[in-house]
Amino acid sequence: MSTTPEQQKREESVGLMEYSTESLVPFGPIHPALKEPEYFKLVLEGERIVNVIPRIGYVHRGLEKAAESRPWVQNMYMFERTCGICSFVHSLCYGQAVEELTMYQVPRRAKYIRTIIAEMERIHSHLLWVGLMGHWAGFDTLFMWVWNDREVVLDLVEAIAGNRVHKSMNAICGVRRDMPENMEDRIVERMRFLTDRARYYRDVIDSEETMLKRTENIGRVSAETVEKLCAVGPMARYVGLKRDVRLNDPYAAYDEVPLDVITTTQGDVHALLRLRLDELVVSANMVAYAVENLPDGPIRVKVPPIIPAGEHSSHCEAPRGEIFYFVKSSGGRTPDRVKSRQPTMANIPTALEMLKGQTLADIPIVLTAIDPCFGCMDRMSFYDTETNKSWTWSGEELRQYGINYYFPERSKKQRDLARAVSSSTNQCLREDF
Amino acid sequence: MSETITQLGKYAEEVGTKITPLRKNESTIEVAQDRLKLFVTYLVNDVHVRHLMTITGLDLGQNLAIIYNFSKERDTIHVRTSVPKAKPEAASIVDIIPGAILYEMELHDMFGIDFAGNPWKDQKLLLPDNWPADLPPPLLKTTKTDQIRRRLGLEAAKP
Repeated sequence: MSTTPEQQKREESVGLMEYSTESLVPFGPIHPALKEPEYFKLVLEGERIVNVIPRIGYVHRGLEKAAESRPWVQNMYMFERTCGICSFVHSLCYGQAVEELTMYQVPRRAKYIRTIIAEMERIHSHLLWVGLMGHWAGFDTLFMWVWNDREVVLDLVEAIAGNRVHKSMNAICGVRRDMPENMEDRIVERMRFLTDRARYYRDVIDSEETMLKRTENIGRVSAETVEKLCAVGPMARYVGLKRDVRLNDPYAAYDEVPLDVITTTQGDVHALLRLRLDELVVSANMVAYAVENLPDGPIRVKVPPIIPAGEHSSHCEAPRGEIFYFVKSSGGRTPDRVKSRQPTMANIPTALEMLKGQTLADIPIVLTAIDPCFGCMDRMSFYDTETNKSWTWSGEELRQYGINYYFPERSKKQRDLARAVSSSTNQCLREDF
Repeated sequence: MSETITQLGKYAEEVGTKITPLRKNESTIEVAQDRLKLFVTYLVNDVHVRHLMTITGLDLGQNLAIIYNFSKERDTIHVRTSVPKAKPEAASIVDIIPGAILYEMELHDMFGIDFAGNPWKDQKLLLPDNWPADLPPPLLKTTKTDQIRRRLGLEAAKP
């Protein structure tokens, strides 16, 4: 259909000629579908996602810079606080890199205890994730069941380490606490219980219509793409790549404890659910084996606070995939450089690829499928806080800061007046109640 | 010594460098900046070392070291190159390994290294959008925490 010159002129004047079918939708940084702040710029064509551009760094705390001014041992517990879910494996990986520099050997019993805690952490992390997937698929019953079972493993962790989340079990060249006595039977029995539950959940996700409809054929990526994008952990295994550090480069006691690496070729979000539940069963068996075959001996070697000069790296299999630490020492009491790379950082390019071609409504479930931990990913360098030099503000100081911030032009007298008025109002309010 | 390392050792000799073992299963190879892309292409296509774990930056005073941390099965291979601090420019390897894109952006933010050929190189990844242009990159040794605090208008850390 031809347009008259007048029509064309009118369209040009209102910009109709420049319209395209693509629209840009900002997603985040604060969004109900994200539990942590992160920003994705989505290019949509109708309802379909054509392109995604990420912007991370909203919870960047500067751990790498902070590590350069802290003693070696203190860093171990600081890096443990990188993540609130897979905390133990961070201190383990950092510790292994430092242990390579010291030339001391970790006792065998300590290696077994490390394996037990690391596998319990994997069970708890995978259960947490399965619950969240149920939540985002609109199946909150699964969420409540799974998180109830998660308490079982958290109670065991608490009994061994004294803490549920930040275990602080690791020391350089050993562990800080021995296994409590007479725990074997209880641990083995609880692991059997969790294995049964995981098998049951496996049936649920394979037969429940809600889960099938929301997850099958969602987020398909080819194995070649995943390999090129250097994905790690379950995100590599769900398309059939056998990428698992526990198998490829065994650390702790993984060369002695029987390990079964699960892979699938189904390659969608549903496959990720099945894969993680199967891994949970493997981990439960590993914990039971390690507890029953726990060797005797010391749990720790004392190491001098000065670490010899050199460079070393270490990688471990966290619940979300491979984590990597690089440590450089110049022979002092503090490290020269610590580099840490977390699994979410490696999996973001794959997640972007998974999102392409999906509808806007699938974003929460696809983003959750990679088990993102933005707090981990952002950790690296620098910006704000010095943890050991923290201070607190009283409510009054905070209010004063607010007044100064919003009314910098006010004189001190006016500010004092405002403060007096507001505190007398507070006083009245307090008396009223 | 694994087959991968033996094969790499031979190639390294051909291009005039050598492979240094750090510990069991971990080795470093020094490669000049202008040969890096060729070397990575060889690594990916001929030796099938495809998994780039991350890219590490190091401040060495006059120079900045860029370490590409690869892994294949049991082997960890650090391909190490350096650029002068006065002119921090390197070639991007995104066309060979697409997964390197975020790591290069991270190094751009933290060390100020420009990766020619990275499609998102002008975009910030980790630093805030309002990061002042006159502030040096934060992970350089010469950049002090208090300096950044002052420039950003934050109070100095209380002891």
